[in-house]
Amino acid sequence: MELRDINYNKSDYVETASGNKVCRQTVLCGSQNIILQGKVIVQSEAIIRGDLANVKTGRYCIISKEAVLRPPYKKFSKGVAFFPLTMGDHVYVGERSVVNAAIVGNYVYIGKNCVIGRRCTLKDCCVIEDNTVLAPETVVPPFARYGGSPGSHIGDLPECQADLMVDFTRSYYQHFQPTKLI
Amino acid sequence: MSYIMGPEVVKYVCTCGLLKPISHLYFCRYCSQLRCSFCVCHEVDSNFCGKCSENIPSSEARVKKNRCGNCYVCPSCQQELSTRIASKGSVNPEDAKSTPKKMYYLSCQFCRWSSRDVGIPDQSTVTGGWPERENVHANRLQELVDMYKAIVLAQKQQKEKDKKKTERKISKLHDLTHPMLKSKPKEPEPATAKTDVEQLPDEMFTEPINLMEVTTIDQRLLQPEAQPATVDKLFPVHKRLSIKRSLRCRACEHNVSKPEYNPSSVKFKIQLFAYYHIPEIRIVTVEPLRAGRQCELIIKFTNPTQHQTTVTFLELKMDDSEVTDTEVTEVSESLEQTLSIQEKQPMSLTSLPLSPSQPSSLLSVSSRQPSITIKPRKINQEVNCDVEIPSSSFILPPRDDAAEYDDSGDMHNIQDDPKLVKWRKSNKAFIKLNVTPVVDLTLNSEVVCGFIMQHIYTNTIASKVENKEPQKYAHKVKVFLHLGQLVGSE
Repeated sequence: MELRDINYNKSDYVETASGNKVCRQTVLCGSQNIILQGKVIVQSEAIIRGDLANVKTGRYCIISKEAVLRPPYKKFSKGVAFFPLTMGDHVYVGERSVVNAAIVGNYVYIGKNCVIGRRCTLKDCCVIEDNTVLAPETVVPPFARYGGSPGSHIGDLPECQADLMVDFTRSYYQHFQPTKLI
Repeated sequence: MSYIMGPEVVKYVCTCGLLKPISHLYFCRYCSQLRCSFCVCHEVDSNFCGKCSENIPSSEARVKKNRCGNCYVCPSCQQELSTRIASKGSVNPEDAKSTPKKMYYLSCQFCRWSSRDVGIPDQSTVTGGWPERENVHANRLQELVDMYKAIVLAQKQQKEKDKKKTERKISKLHDLTHPMLKSKPKEPEPATAKTDVEQLPDEMFTEPINLMEVTTIDQRLLQPEAQPATVDKLFPVHKRLSIKRSLRCRACEHNVSKPEYNPSSVKFKIQLFAYYHIPEIRIVTVEPLRAGRQCELIIKFTNPTQHQTTVTFLELKMDDSEVTDTEVTEVSESLEQTLSIQEKQPMSLTSLPLSPSQPSSLLSVSSRQPSITIKPRKINQEVNCDVEIPSSSFILPPRDDAAEYDDSGDMHNIQDDPKLVKWRKSNKAFIKLNVTPVVDLTLNSEVVCGFIMQHIYTNTIASKVENKEPQKYAHKVKVFLHLGQLVGSE
């Protein structure tokens, strides 16, 4: 199915020169540590915890409503340390998902209501289905479809997944348009 | 979207007769046919561990029984185990300077199982050194494996001997093979069935069962050689390896997909996916479907190739014999113009799918005989909706990656039939079709329509090799669209 237009209220969003569209009703802590590479959409009530560590996203990332990006921590004998969260290009994070991963590769699709555990590594071209709970420090290999709780390998992806994700995130960005006033 | 998560609403018919979404199909450029995962050869390219992303040579993988030597999964919940550090007090507590010794143990971050639970001692090195458990039946299994290997060897030798005998009659020298090889494989003693089994212990009947201590079926089957009955016998299991595979067309033995060697790479050396060659169809909007009433369907066509193509709609006849008949008549015009090309290169013209009985396709396979001919099976899909086939065809311009940054507007100057083409943007066109669900359809039943898409495919193989003009021919694909549920009648 072709995507329908997704309309938003123009006054609710800030559009930067590089094409990022960030909703005003979001919690962006430590904004100096958050890098959005361009054409990134951050929708309402999303939380990005830049105060803990650096958060870097690639181009054409979509952070849906109420999603949480939170850099992972690791316990040491002398307290805890936070690690940066890096995200590749063309990544989709579904509604109400909590991403605690260390690395999210390119062309990754994370469904709704997922919990990506602490310091997970999601390699390029993988899909996390809706309502998945990934255990901490899980490595998701390329072309894998993970689902369930605890998340496990439940299927494979077609070889042209990268192009499908490029097409999906691009068309999402194109269809994400302000409501036209009549 | 629908390719990633949602239902598959548009399905293409593979040459073998199976229905697949376009993302799961391949397109062999040499036979000019669609292939799906069921009609290609799968070959294992490389073995790798999904956790540590390490390539493991196939010989090593065989020795390790296709498992990674360093990574373990939890025997309780099958998640990956991680190594954790436990610092042990220094050897002599009086010496304050001596650093505490680091010890490592395995722990599951999901279910909190740890190697300490089952009494595995902590290790002093990060990787490996974990005690491997001996299989009690290892000797017996090895014996059996050896025997079967010997049988295979003996049979191979017998075959060769027979061959030699037929080639040249008796030559005594050839029979002088090594006595070890000639001897018949020794058979191990066969297993015997026992009638008297140990009685169940009395506690089994008197003690209340504690389900927290009993393992589940999944946990037992994870370790088939031990099959632990209680949780205190669960030991970490080596992680299974993943593979990278290359796919090969069975008819012409050309690769259709070959991944790069690096396990974490998502690029391909050879990628003949249908998504890059066949126009993609997507449903944009459908009017509410009512039985017996015509409604408007808008679909989007995308040309993924670097060449302009023309798309024509043809009627889909479900009866196989009829399909072949119509194809003969439809193709005859295009056949005349392609015949000239056929003279130059007869083997690459197999542009007529699903019609092995046709005389023209018989001509085309004359020079290269396919190793395996796949007989197309009957298409298992009901159609309960008529499509009004438009008489005119439309042009799809080539894909242009720079078009995204081009704001000059679409200056294609293509003369379109306004009834057919609603609007177009770079290599995409939005097409209007009129569909009519069958009159006697019940409420809420799934409405499916189908048609044949004929598009001009430009094959560039010959032009690269022999500096010829790329050849063009009409390629036909059967497409089925799931339009949704019927909402009412007329």
